[in-house]
Parts: sequence; structure tokens; C-alpha cells
Amino acid sequence: MSAYKINLCVNGKDETLDVQGDETLLRALRRIGYVEVKLSCEGGDCGACAVLLDGVAVNACLMFAAQADGSEITTVRGIGTEDDLHPVQEQLIEKGGVQCGFCTPGIVVSAKVLLDENPEPTREDIQRGLAGNLCRCTGYKKIFEAVSAAARQVNEGDGS
Amino acid sequence: MSTRVVGQPHPIIDAVEKVSGATIFINDLELPGALTGLALRSPHPHARILNLDTSAAERLAGVAVVLSKNNTPNAPFGINHKDEAAFCREKARYVGDEVAAVAAADEETAREALSLIRVDYEVLPTVADPFAAQEPNAPLVHDSVTGNIANEFHIKRGEIDEAFDAADAAFADEFHTHLAHQAYIEPTGCAAQWHPGGKISVWGCLQSVFLIRTFMLGPAMGMSPDDFRVTQTKPGGAFGGKLDVKAALMAAMLSRAAEKPVRFMMSLEEDLIAMRPRMPVHISLESAWKRDGTLAGKRVRIVAENGAYSSLSPAIMSSIALRTDNLYKTPAAEIQGKLVYTNIIPSGQMRGFGNVQATYAWESHLDNVADSLGLDPAELRLKNYTEKGDVSLHGWKIASCAVADATRYVVEEMDWKAKRARGGKGRGVGLASCIHVSGNKGFSVELGPDDTDPSSGVVRVDEEGKVEIWSGESDLGQGATSVMAYIASEVMGIPVERFRVPPTDTGYMPFGMGAFASRITLIGGNAVKLAAEDARRNLLDAAAEFMEIPADELEIVEGEVRAKALPERKMSVGEVVRRAGSVIEGNGKWLAGGDVLDKEKYGNPSTTYSFSTHGAEVEVDMETGVVTILGICCGHDPGRVINRLGAEGQVEGGAVQGMSFAMMEGLAPLEGHLRGKNFHDYLIATSMDAPPIEHDFFESMDPYGPYGAKGLAEVAINPITAAICNAIYHATGGARIRTLPVSPERVLEAIEEARK
Ligand code: FES
Ligand code: FES
Repeated sequence: MSAYKINLCVNGKDETLDVQGDETLLRALRRIGYVEVKLSCEGGDCGACAVLLDGVAVNACLMFAAQADGSEITTVRGIGTEDDLHPVQEQLIEKGGVQCGFCTPGIVVSAKVLLDENPEPTREDIQRGLAGNLCRCTGYKKIFEAVSAAARQVNEGDGS
Repeated sequence: MSTRVVGQPHPIIDAVEKVSGATIFINDLELPGALTGLALRSPHPHARILNLDTSAAERLAGVAVVLSKNNTPNAPFGINHKDEAAFCREKARYVGDEVAAVAAADEETAREALSLIRVDYEVLPTVADPFAAQEPNAPLVHDSVTGNIANEFHIKRGEIDEAFDAADAAFADEFHTHLAHQAYIEPTGCAAQWHPGGKISVWGCLQSVFLIRTFMLGPAMGMSPDDFRVTQTKPGGAFGGKLDVKAALMAAMLSRAAEKPVRFMMSLEEDLIAMRPRMPVHISLESAWKRDGTLAGKRVRIVAENGAYSSLSPAIMSSIALRTDNLYKTPAAEIQGKLVYTNIIPSGQMRGFGNVQATYAWESHLDNVADSLGLDPAELRLKNYTEKGDVSLHGWKIASCAVADATRYVVEEMDWKAKRARGGKGRGVGLASCIHVSGNKGFSVELGPDDTDPSSGVVRVDEEGKVEIWSGESDLGQGATSVMAYIASEVMGIPVERFRVPPTDTGYMPFGMGAFASRITLIGGNAVKLAAEDARRNLLDAAAEFMEIPADELEIVEGEVRAKALPERKMSVGEVVRRAGSVIEGNGKWLAGGDVLDKEKYGNPSTTYSFSTHGAEVEVDMETGVVTILGICCGHDPGRVINRLGAEGQVEGGAVQGMSFAMMEGLAPLEGHLRGKNFHDYLIATSMDAPPIEHDFFESMDPYGPYGAKGLAEVAINPITAAICNAIYHATGGARIRTLPVSPERVLEAIEEARK
């Protein structure tokens, strides 16, 4: 399998790395330290590995790293960190939408995209927006509540 | 008692790190120089290993070590039966059984090494059906176990034959449950590091760091349990499945042999085919009744599918057999159980520990009975529930109980009376209840050093006024450590935000059995509460000296020691610790109540018991059999709610997990081969499946619980399957689901059957 040198901009940081042709974006990101992108099914079913690729949510396990050459990648830590949480993250905390936390990085990515595209989502919109993110712990209810509350928070923030 | 923290809705204490992706799960742990460990698993359900040649794999550049029966001693281990070994010896007994393992420089090399291992198998006939397995000429899974019976028992309690003779009515039913996986999103993994001198450090997503040393690592490796330092990484969900983790053994053995650190991460597929999913059971029930709906007696016969190895299965079977008899006043019972070996993945414990299966069967049967007697199913239950102060026929002592309140809530909230009056037209409601232990004395004997079921805690206050809690119990994501922090915060008058509870570690933490049997809130919570009281006393004693005010005239408020009479005379907790010149600490230990059951399974296995009632409303398409869950309503008695947000999360998560089990899950073994290999063929509930859920808590204020609290994780899942099936029965005018999961085909068949 041939090797490629690729350039990525991950959470605003330029990264140059050598990848094998069959190395997935998920594995490559984790190998260079972005372990907040979670590895579970590696088959596109769970959404734990969701990242933004040039602003679009993708499952990082479903593409080769080489295909991402030249792109901008945003992981959960590019959306918000401990000292600077995104409203989705704040509300997941407040509303109890996180238990074990394994699904959470992917949920944050999907929820952010959802709110960017639809600032006032209904419960059904949220259900659909998170349909690709499995959570085994919460039963989803508190995640839905968190996303609704985050939408309100973002909208009120805009209005002020 | 009025409380400041307890009962309030709090985020879990590690929520910030979790939402920002900073939590280190096992696969994220860096272990410099670590080799990659992988297992070669049997492709056959049952096969004799004629020859095993690992030489080509050993010669491959980058391979450090290859382990198999050829170079490891035969050291059988197992919790109830020593029927398992690290690697297959003469036979492979299920698809996924570990035949060999390699440690290599990287994953690619490790995979190549696996492909170079040559195994000559003689494929043997598969024992797949637990009934056929008992036939006289059936092949044997373990050659020394005749009839493939791993365990059996037969007990009679009370005047059972007389109860049936004198009954006004008697009813019989049969139910079958399926092989379902815990399906946590984080695949299981462990890492190990051998140290010169022979000690081994192990890390992993484990439910019990202490016990894995005593029941698996020590005996299988011929070492003493304290040769291992086991450190938990936060599990990405566990639900019972990460109690019994063979990956820990693989990592430790490879590391010892290679004298290098080894990471052993399972793929999701390996996890689905080679962990320990929920035990499938076949349950026959007969019950005897008085005309007015009083239960007179019951007979239960169980055939439980053990799979290839036993682990905790005998205890699970016994739990299935006896559990529901304690929920209702049951004057007499006869119970027979058989646990049968098959060539299928070994079954095991999942949230509910058999109670999901038992409750599904009995609570479905109860609705059939109610229908036949012409009684309302809720009324039938209310007439027969156990109550506080009862001692059940098996010897269970009910110290607190609010199941009737939970049921009345569900009835009211669901508009039960009106909806029950309109059944049979494709829409219906049903409910079901359960009882569950808060810790189980039996496990302390099977898994622990003796019969004490202890927990201990250390609470340490540092010079900044921050508090760290050490407990050998485990957080699996359910918020157990947060519960400890809230309890200690309540006791100590120090804000919750200042508490930290690190993952469990046998290296420095006091002993704890770990997270299973809904034991942590009660047993771990009591130990931590006592430790916090001790720490508070020590803080006040130290402050008394510096402030020259007697300790009993001081209090701690918002992290400050204040004179009760003169609140302006105060010192921060951190300052007290600094002036004292050291960390101020408190210790506590708590021994669970209850007994180890006698040979006849009589006794009180737990300090106290929790209860719940779940209701479901469904719509059934009578033409296609498709069921839509319109809503779920849950009433729980957790004794006392410690953290409202966390308790609600347990209920919502449990109900949806249970609904998922009932409606869509299943590893679907066919002649020993499993269908479920990834989340596209092992389906679990997605956000699209999540129904609206209502819930409330009925606090029975348990006399033994910390602030009155008892376990909640498992009562949150147990009754929902039966509630859904009872709602389907009501919606369809009598279609009874006797085999899980509920599929449109099964619903249509049941509708057909009901029409006859
Ligand atoms: S790991 Fe990528 S979708 Fe599951
Ligand atoms: S919080 Fe555990 S999987 Fe979602």
C-alpha cells in the first residue's frame, strides 16, 4: 500500500502527516493525538467518530485520510473546550445529556451542525439530526432537551 | 431531613471533561513502547484442535510473542465452575473462543501473525439447542459434564400441591428470551505492563478492579491477586458486560511473556461475538389463584442457556428463578432450574442480572391471569404486592417499599381507566412491576474474598479546600462517583464543585467489590458517608484548636468553618488544612446487611430492595404487525433520590435500553454462529426510536440507605419489556408475545393465535 503525505488543518492547527492509502481519517487523527474522535464501530453506524470536514459532518471512519488532504477538520475540541464551552456542550452538562460520555464528542458535532442549519429545531428535527449518533446510556431524552435549550441559548445570544 | 445537595438536580461531576472530549478512555491511553495484542478466535462453534502450529507467526519480524495452549499452563478458572482457560486446550467451544494471541510491534504485523498461525480443527457436531443438549446422545460441550447440565436445582416452599388443589383457578404459560448484548458504544479493551520483578499493571474499562484479580487474573496466571495493580479507565458504558473481561487476561499474559507493555483492544465485532451477553432463558409458569385475585402459589421451570462457559450464569439463573416471588405475597412455590451448556457464546450478566427475563415472563403471565379472572391488571397487582415489613417466602426482608404508589402514579398519569376501556382496536396500554436487590450477598462469596460484601471510603481534604474521594467502587458512566460526591458534600458543607473522585485503582484505594447488583449507592454511599462524617469531625477538631472555639460550636458552610454563634469568626477549609500541616482525612467502612442464601436458596440476599412500575402505550398495525411505542411512563422507588438529574437519566436510559432489548435486539445465533457483528446488524435504539418518557419517584426513605437511598440502575430496565408486551396484548385484544424480541411476524402470529 502506498504512502501519501497529506496536509490537514485540525481545529485551526496545521498538520502534515504520512498516511497509508488504507488508513482511515479516524485512525490518522487518533494516531496524531486527536483521541477525542472516538473509535467504535468503524463502519459508519455509531457516529462516535463524527467530525466536521470543511464544515460538513462526516464519520471519520468512513473515509481515507488521503481523501481529506487539504481539508479543514473540526473535532469536538474545535467546537469548545473546558474554558470555552459551546452552548450545546453547556446544555448537555446542565440538562444531564451526558452519562459515560463516549458518544458525546460525536453528539456535540452533530448537534452543532444541526443548530447551524436549523436555529429552531423541533423535537423531530433533533431526532433526525442525531439519528446517526448512537447513545446507549441516556435514552436520548436529556440530549434532546439539551439541544433545544442550546438552540434557545444561541438565539437569545444573537438577539442581545 | 432537609438537605442542601441531596435530592437536587446536579450535573455529573465529570461532565465538563466529557463534553469537551477530554476523558481518556482505554483506547486513548498512551503507553509508550506498547505492543499490539490480538487474539485468534475459533471460527467453529465446536471443534477439536488436532494441531496448532505457531512457528511461522513467531518467526515473523516484529512479533514479540505468540501464546496458545502450546506454551501456557492449563490453569482453569471460573467463578462457579473452573471450566474456562486462557486459551482453548483440546477443543474450541464457541465461535470466538480464544485459540491463540499475539503481541507485535503494530496492528498490521499482529494481524499478519494471526494469519500465519495454522490450526487443524476436527469440526464436531454443534450443541446449539438447550433442550436437544439434554438428550441422552447429545454431543458434550465439556466431556466431563454429562447431559451438558452446568447446574440444576429444585426447591419447594410452602404447601404448593395443596395450593393448586384448593385453587379456584390455575393458569399456565411459556416464555422465551433471546441472546442480547450490552452494546455499550465503547468496545472493550485493556492494557498491561509487566514490571521487572514480576508485578503487572493493568488498565481497562472494568466494573470491578479488585475482583478481576481474584476471579480471573490471579488463578489463570498462577499469581497472587496483589501481584496486579489494576486501574480503571472510565468505561464508555458497561451495563454488566465489563465485569468479566477476558481482555484483561490477554493483555496481562502477553505482557508477561513479552516483558513489554501490551494494548489489547477488541473490535466491536469481537466484542459482539466474544464477551458475555444477556442469558437467554425458557420459562414455564403455572399459577394458582383465588377467585378474588389472591395469589395462592406458583410453579416455575427454567431452562437457561449457559453457552460454552459458566462464569456467573448459575447465579443469574437462580436470580431469574426466585426474584418475582418476592414482589408479591406468594404463599407457596415450586421452582426448578436447569442451566445447560451449549456451543454458543457464553452468556452472562447484563443490567437486571436475569430480572429482565424473569420480570418479562411473570408480568406477562399476570396480565393473562387478570384477563382470565376478569380483573384489571393494575388492581390484581395492587392486591398482591409485598409491603414494608414483609418477609417473603424465600426469606427476603422488605425494609421499605413504595411499589403501590409507583403503580398508582402510572395508572393516573397514563389515564389508565379510560384507555383500558378502549382496548382491542390497535391501541393499548400495559404496565408491569419489579423488585431488585441493592447489592447481593451471594456475590461476595462467589466473587469476593469472603461473605462480607464490604465497601470502604477515604475522603481527603487538601490545602486548597478541595476534596478527593477514594472508593473501590466504580463509575461506569451511570454517575456513581457523582452520587458519592453529593453525599460527601452534603455531610461536609463543602460545595460539590470542589469534589473529585478518580477512577478506581487497586494501587492505593480501599477495597470495594465494584459496580454490579445495584450496590453502589447503598453500600458504597454508606461507606463514603461515614468517611465524610469522619473527615468533617477531623476538620472541626483541627479548626477548634486554631479558632479556640469548641468543635461542637462550629459548623462548615460553603467550604468555611464558622462559629455557629458568631458567623464572622470563620476559616476556610483549605486554611484549616494548611494550618494543620497535612491533608485532613476521613475513613469509613460499611458492611452490607443480609445473608448468604442457604443450600435451599433461603435467606435475605440484600440489605434492602428497590421497586419500579413501568407503563407503555402502543399502537399496533393489525395488518402488518408493526408496533409503535407511543409513550412510556415510569414510577420508581429508589428509597431517596440523591441526584435528581442522574436518577432521571438512569430511568430514561434504562427504559429505552429495555425497550430496545424488547423490540429490536438479538445476536440471533444460528447453529452457533451469531448474526450480530456490528451496529448495522446488531440494532439498538437510535434517537428516532426514542419515545416520550414521563417519570416520577416515590421515596420510601429506606432505613439502611444513605439519606434513605437504595439502588436504581436495574429497576430502571426490568419491567419495560413486559409493560410493552402487555400493552400489545391490550391493543390487539389478546395477542401474547411469548418469544422475544417482538417482531412484526411474531405479533401477527400472536394476533392469529388470539383470534382462534
Ligand atoms: S466509529 Fe465511525 S461511525 Fe462508528
Ligand atoms: S452517554 Fe454513554 S453512550 Fe451516550
